[in-house]
Amino acid sequence: MNIVVGVSDMQVSNDPKASIITYSLGSCIGVTIYDTVARVGGIAHYMLPDSTIDTAKAKDNPYMFANTCIPLLFKTAYKLGAKKQRMRVLLLGGSQIMDQNGFFNIGNRNYMAARKMLWKNNVVIDYENVGGSVNRTIKLSVKSGQIKLKVSGGSEFEI
Amino acid sequence: MIDLKKIIKDIDRLEPIPQAVQKVLSIVNNPDSSISELTDVVQYEPSLTANLLKICNSPYTGLTREVDSVHHAVALLGMNQVGDLILLAGVSQKLSKEQKGYDLKPGELWKHSVSSALLSRELAKRAEKVDEHFVFTAALLKDMGKLILSQYVEDSFKKINHLVTEENFSFREAEKKVIGIDHAELGGMVMEKWKFSKKMVSVVSNHHLSDTTSAPDPETSVIYMGDILCMMMGIGVGADGLAYRFYKDVLTDLKLSEKDIQGIMADFVIKLKKVESLYALS
Repeated sequence: MNIVVGVSDMQVSNDPKASIITYSLGSCIGVTIYDTVARVGGIAHYMLPDSTIDTAKAKDNPYMFANTCIPLLFKTAYKLGAKKQRMRVLLLGGSQIMDQNGFFNIGNRNYMAARKMLWKNNVVIDYENVGGSVNRTIKLSVKSGQIKLKVSGGSEFEI
Repeated sequence: MIDLKKIIKDIDRLEPIPQAVQKVLSIVNNPDSSISELTDVVQYEPSLTANLLKICNSPYTGLTREVDSVHHAVALLGMNQVGDLILLAGVSQKLSKEQKGYDLKPGELWKHSVSSALLSRELAKRAEKVDEHFVFTAALLKDMGKLILSQYVEDSFKKINHLVTEENFSFREAEKKVIGIDHAELGGMVMEKWKFSKKMVSVVSNHHLSDTTSAPDPETSVIYMGDILCMMMGIGVGADGLAYRFYKDVLTDLKLSEKDIQGIMADFVIKLKKVESLYALS
């Protein structure tokens, strides 16, 4: 069974039959977590770095912003028995249009928002595949914890 | 280099958009047109009517009453919006097919086209003197060139991808270099063949702002920006990824700040549930 994570969305599962997939991350970030013991995994796919630009929208859809989305991802996984110290944490996405050079670079700011937040909470990032002008698709098998990444222009590989 | 004449000949093999849709576009674009002119054209096209009514009754329009005729649709939604919806109904099949060269699965180019059209219309509302209806049409049709070029991109993908990943070419520049023509230019030719206005031809050919000899007109800027936002959100993005050039002057021309852009993206996502009923047309 495939559980699809849309844009500004999050899914966490402990169903061994499930795969969690998020298609086509552009400047968005897909934070992917997996606890190898509890066999709980999740992907959060947020679009913007900071909810202070529109707190009403963050209330309506907290998965839209890094600062409101990431805590929910971890909390939901903890409820299913996941533990911070056992978790693999991956950051994927955060691309940019060519020549943005820091200007209007939402992809990079999305990435920095996650780094800052995880660092503050003593979460170690296990793997990153961010930036460039590519888009990325992530698949996470809940049973095995196997994570596959497809970067546009290339073929799928296991992380 | 590939035989360009052959590629251009392929335009003839691309089935044109239905004549009824073409007529609807000209009726909607003429401020003196009447509702009966529009309904007269559409009512003899059963599949188009069926598709239109399906959209009208989907969550996208948010109508609470059931729409059962074209006349009824115009009464509830107005000529302009019905014109846009007829266009969507008329081109959904064509844009829904898989495009292997661009690694776009069935329905993905359609998602991208619909979303760019809606985002461009939002941007047009904020800009001065930009015709929303024109922009919607141009944004929806801008990637028609991909329908033809996909096969050639597939054949030359390694070379194109090498230029993009190793030599800082944009995907469009790499298409032009390797194949001799890019999807935007080819899309403009398709528009010409289908007898769209000169303005439509120019906007579609220049939707990645490849013409650097003069500043883009507001319509082109709006469509360019709508496309960029779609790519950033990853909606219907394929093998070309986000490998297109960014021109920051466009933001200044359209008087858009980064905060505005984030607001437009956020609004779009909030509406996504409704927009998904348009994706389902494919």
